[in-house]
Amino acid sequence: MAQEIYYEDINVGDAMPELVKGPIQKLQHVMYAGASGDFNPLHTDDDFAKAIGMDGVIAHGMLIMGFVGQAITSWIPRKYLKKFGVRFAGMTKPNNTITVTGKVTDRRVEAGENLITCEVVAQDENGDVKITGHFEAALPSRG
Amino acid sequence: MADKSKEGKEYPPIVWEVERGKIRELAKAIGDSNPIYLDREAAVKEGYKDCPAPPTFLTVPMMWCSSMPDVINDLKINFAMVLHGEEEYEYYQQIYPGDVLTGKPKVVSVEEKTSKSGRKMDMVTVEIIYTNQKGEKVAKARSLLIERK
Repeated sequence: MAQEIYYEDINVGDAMPELVKGPIQKLQHVMYAGASGDFNPLHTDDDFAKAIGMDGVIAHGMLIMGFVGQAITSWIPRKYLKKFGVRFAGMTKPNNTITVTGKVTDRRVEAGENLITCEVVAQDENGDVKITGHFEAALPSRG
Repeated sequence: MADKSKEGKEYPPIVWEVERGKIRELAKAIGDSNPIYLDREAAVKEGYKDCPAPPTFLTVPMMWCSSMPDVINDLKINFAMVLHGEEEYEYYQQIYPGDVLTGKPKVVSVEEKTSKSGRKMDMVTVEIIYTNQKGEKVAKARSLLIERK
C-alpha cells in the first residue's frame, strides 16, 4: 500500500524504496503465462527452450516489468503514474532474485502539474541488469 | 525479415472487457500484494472507484487477443528470432473492472539497425491506443520488437 505523497516531499536524488523479488520459481512463469496470455513455450517448457539453444526456460520480460511496476506503485500511488517505460537488457532465469531500485532524476511544474521523473533498474543477485527504465508521475501539492 | 511495406499499417481493433478477477490474477502472478489490486474496499479507501488495473495490465488484452502474435505474423517476422526490446505506457486515466477497452494496433516504424558486433536487426515499433466504452482515451502502449537476422 502506497502512503499519500506530496510533490514538496520529493527531491532529485531521492531513492525509491528497494523491492526484492524471488528467488523466482518456474511455477511463477506458469502463473504469469496464464494471467498475461503470453504462452510462448520459451517461458514454461524446458525441452522447447533447449531445442532452440537455451539452457532452459527464462522468465517473461513483462513479469520483471511487473516487479518494477510493483516497486513503483508501492511507493507512488497508482493514480499518479503518467508514464512508465522499460528497456529489456537481460534474461532472467529460474532461481534469480531480482532487486528493483530507483531514484528521482527530475522534478518540475509543467502545465500546472507537479511532475517527477525517476530512473529504475532491476538486477539479479550478481548485479546483472535485466531492466532499465523510467517513470513519470504527477503528484499533489501540499500548497 | 520484417516487412518494411507494413510501416504505418493499422490492424483491426481488439476489444477487451476488464474483469476484477483478471486484475487480481495478474497482481497475484506478479506477487504484488498491494491491496488496491485485490480488494475493492481498500482501493476505494485510497481514492479509487474500484480496483485499478496494475501498470502492466495492458499486456493482458494485447496477448489474450493475440494482437502481438498477429502483427508478428503479418510482418513475416521469424518468431524464434524475436526479442522484446522495450515496452512503454502512457496513462491518461484509470482502468477499472467493467471497462470495455478498444485497442487500435498500428505499426509505427520498421527500421534496420546494425549492432556493435555487426549483426543486422530489424526494429519494429508497434503502438496500441486504448479507449474505453465512453470513447475516452485511457492509455497508449508502445512495444519495440527486435528481430535478429
